[in-house]
Amino acid sequence: MGVPAFFRWLSRKYCSIIVHCMEEKAKECNGVRIPVDTSKPNPNEVEFDNLYLDMNGIIHPCTHPEDKPAPKNEDEMMVAIFEYIDRLFNIVRPRRVLYMAIDGVAPRAKMNQQRSRRFRASKEGVELQEEKQKIREEIFQRGGYLPNEEIKERFDSNCITPGTEFMDNLAKCLRYYVADRLSNDPGWRNLTVVLSDASAPGEGEHKIMDYIRRQRAQPNHDPNTHHCLCGADADLIMLGLATHEPNFTIIREEFKPNKPRPCALCGQMGHELKDCQGVAREKKGEFDQFADSPPVSEQEFIFIRLSVLREYLEKELTMASLPFPFNFERSVDDWVFMCFFVGNDFLPHLPSLEIREGAIDRLVGIYKDVVHRTGGYLTENGFVNLERVEMIMQAVGVAEDNIFKKRKEDDEAFKRRMKEKKKRLKAEQAPAFLPTGQFAPEALGRRGAPQPIHNARHTAFEMRMQGQDQRNKDAAQSLKALMRNGNQALAGSSVGMDPRGQKRKAEDSDSEPEPEDNVRLWEDGWKQRYYKTKFDVDVGDDAFRRKVVKSYVEGLCWVLRYYYQGCASWKWYFPFHYAPFASDFKDLKDMFTDFETGTQPFKPLEQLMSVFPAASGNFLPQTWRALMTDPDSSIIDFYPEDFAIDLNGKKYAWQGVALLPFVDERRLRAALEEVYPDLTPEERKRNSLGSDVMFVGRSHPLCDFLIELYRAESKEGSEIPPELCHGVQGTLNLDEEPILPDKPVVSPVPVLRDIMQNSAIGIKFKDPQYNEGYVFKAVILPGAKIPSKVLKPGDWENSNRGPWKPQLGFNPNRQQAHLDRSAFRALSHSISRQQHRDGPYSNAPPPGSYHQGQHRPRPHGGHIPSYPNSRQYDAYRGPHASYNPPQPYARLQYSNPGWNRAVQGQAAAYQQNQQRAHIAQPTYQQPQQRPHQQPQRHEGQMGGQGPPQISPSNGPGEYSSSSSILNSVYFHPRRSKVFRSAPSMWWTS
Amino acid sequence: MEDDVNGYTRTRVRSMMAEERQGEDVVSEFLGQNPHLASWVESLQSQCETNKQWRARREFILRNMESFPTVQPGVASPSLDRLLSLSMVWANHIFLGCIYSQTIMKKITEMAEGIVVRDVPVKKTRDEIMGKGKRPAMCEIEAESSAKKPKPAANESESRAGGRASARPGAAAGAKAGLPPQAPAEHQPFFNRLYKAVAWKLVSAGGFGPNLDHFEILRACVESSKASLSCVFVPLKDIPDLPVSRTQKEGQVCELRCQTVYMGTGYGRDESSARAMASKEALKVFQGRKVTVKICRRRFRGRDVEDLVLLDEQPRNSGLPPALDYPFQSEQPVGTLS
Repeated sequence: MGVPAFFRWLSRKYCSIIVHCMEEKAKECNGVRIPVDTSKPNPNEVEFDNLYLDMNGIIHPCTHPEDKPAPKNEDEMMVAIFEYIDRLFNIVRPRRVLYMAIDGVAPRAKMNQQRSRRFRASKEGVELQEEKQKIREEIFQRGGYLPNEEIKERFDSNCITPGTEFMDNLAKCLRYYVADRLSNDPGWRNLTVVLSDASAPGEGEHKIMDYIRRQRAQPNHDPNTHHCLCGADADLIMLGLATHEPNFTIIREEFKPNKPRPCALCGQMGHELKDCQGVAREKKGEFDQFADSPPVSEQEFIFIRLSVLREYLEKELTMASLPFPFNFERSVDDWVFMCFFVGNDFLPHLPSLEIREGAIDRLVGIYKDVVHRTGGYLTENGFVNLERVEMIMQAVGVAEDNIFKKRKEDDEAFKRRMKEKKKRLKAEQAPAFLPTGQFAPEALGRRGAPQPIHNARHTAFEMRMQGQDQRNKDAAQSLKALMRNGNQALAGSSVGMDPRGQKRKAEDSDSEPEPEDNVRLWEDGWKQRYYKTKFDVDVGDDAFRRKVVKSYVEGLCWVLRYYYQGCASWKWYFPFHYAPFASDFKDLKDMFTDFETGTQPFKPLEQLMSVFPAASGNFLPQTWRALMTDPDSSIIDFYPEDFAIDLNGKKYAWQGVALLPFVDERRLRAALEEVYPDLTPEERKRNSLGSDVMFVGRSHPLCDFLIELYRAESKEGSEIPPELCHGVQGTLNLDEEPILPDKPVVSPVPVLRDIMQNSAIGIKFKDPQYNEGYVFKAVILPGAKIPSKVLKPGDWENSNRGPWKPQLGFNPNRQQAHLDRSAFRALSHSISRQQHRDGPYSNAPPPGSYHQGQHRPRPHGGHIPSYPNSRQYDAYRGPHASYNPPQPYARLQYSNPGWNRAVQGQAAAYQQNQQRAHIAQPTYQQPQQRPHQQPQRHEGQMGGQGPPQISPSNGPGEYSSSSSILNSVYFHPRRSKVFRSAPSMWWTS
Repeated sequence: MEDDVNGYTRTRVRSMMAEERQGEDVVSEFLGQNPHLASWVESLQSQCETNKQWRARREFILRNMESFPTVQPGVASPSLDRLLSLSMVWANHIFLGCIYSQTIMKKITEMAEGIVVRDVPVKKTRDEIMGKGKRPAMCEIEAESSAKKPKPAANESESRAGGRASARPGAAAGAKAGLPPQAPAEHQPFFNRLYKAVAWKLVSAGGFGPNLDHFEILRACVESSKASLSCVFVPLKDIPDLPVSRTQKEGQVCELRCQTVYMGTGYGRDESSARAMASKEALKVFQGRKVTVKICRRRFRGRDVEDLVLLDEQPRNSGLPPALDYPFQSEQPVGTLS
């Protein structure tokens, strides 16, 4: 969802959903880098089964990063992508499935957003380039220094769209990457990898959802699969909730606002492009060589635990005395649905619902009020009950007027505050004139009694003369400057040097000009004005208004269906730039029946034609490109050179609504029909819809099966035997250019070596198919174990169970290490007290305090060191690795043999999870136990490596020490006091 | 529908020249005579198009059908698609504010000749927001285009039913406001005379300075040029569109016009001081080498209007103050926003 505020809001309100990732870094020994062995247990004390990568969230930061210089060429980009995946893999360490999904052709509903992004991106790119060139020339004229501009083409980020050569190349590179890791990395040995590249239609995250949905609807699915989905979009949270899988975690980059960015011209930190002086960097201080790497150069990751979010929602949504039985799963679906009102990729948000103004809380409040009268839930399995939705919308509509008025008031109040603040800051600066000598101001109570004034008249005279003197000097100086610089400098220098007569500038008193607002939602008649200015229709045009509402209602149905059942119609889209008001949602009941069935997605090149501006036409074949610029083209109206932007109450152009015309599908197809014959065979291949590909390594149980399939050259699809692949189902078809064991894989990236000893095998994979009209049930599957609670129960205080011990990571029973007084002394010695970093989510307390509410000093409070400044503990968060005791990893290998998958036979692969749970249980306290445990099976296999059962006193303490030292530091009772009254602790208090 | 179209034309009648009115009627009359064509053409309306937009685009399509002889009603063909595409280009330009390449813009401007669109929405393109210097200041382009317009229009009006093209929303808005493009040219000679009168008067008064009775000077000059000065006073607090940060609430604002051409605005504690300030502002304009009457866009009661403005040749960096009075008002259909 293109709503960055949504995630911020969620993580502030439901702060315990966030867990910081523990990442094991590769070590270096005598200059040789030792890669991390990802087959070892996960340092986050949880084991994930499946990792899903929404690849577009990886491709964008790797190809045009914001916080570091851009890669020089495509090869470097590919390597950056590989490294990024490696990093994620190292953190998550999936044990069963890795699913990589690149955005394919999107439904029409999404295309309008893509179109607007790409039209803007193309313009922004050109503008940045122009600005750079301009400033570069200016700097050279002033004799500045700039590093040579590398000879590289401007990377048009628009090429990250299905159907371009770049995406085709990326798919090839990823195949190579998967084959390489499957052959060489022990952590990948038993992994099933599915690659869904840009040729498979659908957005990345929705392809992933489709996979999950279709797997969990078949009988062999393990209901306790632990999913981990990587991506930064807030709608992944919705999607995760929509699966109703009990174990679902999202991993994303930690969002840090206002991260310093290097200057786009000289690459130095500390200034922006427009302030670039072209000055060679000065050496500052002793460790200057590190100055170019930004303070925390590597982005850190966080987990978002949806099981915890579900706990929060359960507390919030549970309603007593309903006229029908309360069903938490259904109310979660309703919650997801209501979040769509606030913003999603497919519909503009309602004007009265703004996430920053607590729109979701408002909706939940209304929902709980109204649900008593509706007689049931708003949605079921992704289908909307419009009558009930209408009741909600009408309730919002009643408040609409007040919301707009309040918004205006808040806005004014904010401006007033800012103005006062500015004034205050100004007042804090020194006054323009300070009397000197005996009139000089003096601090109160400094010197006994005030001194009597002597000879006041003379002093005043002196001060006057001094001032005149100064003026004379200034005048002389400006005269000299004038003579030096000649006439043209006169204007500039006299302004710059004249110390008196410094008039306040006009902007000083008035803040920046406000964008004009013709709608004035806070004044009566706003509705008419809104429809008039935004839609250009008159007050009386009810028919048109209903048309907008109808489209919006269709949109809501489409979006919900998209999340719960998959794409209902590839054709549907919302054909307006703005949303109607909540109060206009009347008589919805018969507004929507069903979508057109049997719609087909666009072909990749067709999609390129409908989302690219003419400026990005170079990604298209010659004759296709001509359609974007030729005045006689029959689709020329899709490609304006410049377009209007409605700021819509916002300040910057990128926040506004781009008023782009919509694409007429019929005309597009008709126009393309004529140029289709011009495609080369290669382009034709790029234009075709492709399939997902599944890869496994040689030691995977499925490998032999696949080899057999290739040997038999079977033409029709074969089903995966569920017992070979952790219950994953699907249809396999032979690949035309397969990756096969012992067949070398040629590297598409020159800097990387060919894989001579390949042991991976690839085959086309198709998700399990269901009959038309099959409804995927939005329920918890039978046999699923709900993970144990993390939040503090509301009645804990009364239960006499002792002090509440909050859970930090995934492991509820983590042993906490403690530092004694001397350790704190040692730490404080080496860490400056000045160091302090604000919590990443500004208002939220730093991650250490997530559960703190009523946390009391623990029994061993004897260790409390008396620290004057509790803030400094924050500083310990940064360099995790440096506190790692060196030996635990080494010992772990012996003490926990269950992880050592390499020794296990292939046949046992499917049982590994059960075993794992069994072994892991005493160590890590997996929240749930797997069904059908098979006790003691491993003993024989493990040889004499050591007892499989680890005594709790030994194992966990050893392993978790690396992280828990840190956590116990945050969790120091002293610290908890600091946050006891923090405002975001609303939940526990 | 029929009724609606007529009603729409009626409101337009007063401000339009006869031939333009005819153009509107022609559409409904034409469709009335060709019912088969009417139903076909209605099928071309796209689902998100408002009636107003559709009526304009329908006229565009119907007017240009003859130049696409291969277009047959009811038959999809590449040439029909080209016509539809151009109609969309024009509609996107007028209603969404899209800009296309110059050749295309020229083409649609020609094709749209004679079509009158009432109450064109005001849009700001991305380039304009980003402050790109690609296009010169608004009023100049308007002045240029309005200066050039009359000639081709006059030539063409013989062969075509249509009158003036409404290409840019600006020009179109000018048309709907009853501000004929030749208006600046009509007023220019008078202000050339006034310029001379002011120059001589100031010489005799010892040059432009702060200690003059500016209003008296201006009034005398205007009257000697056989015209009169009109002053409009509005209390400051009644003016919309002022910056929110403005703290002053008291006082009067005065706007000076001569022969409907705007000359200056001034603020003062009372009416006479406001008038003096406005006159001073107006006289400042006469300090340049010449004065020019131009059509400029400015705010009036919460919307943008085309106004006649007296300017010197210096480029203006700040926008004009909002208009207090709009002498062309009576001819304009009452806007819903005011």
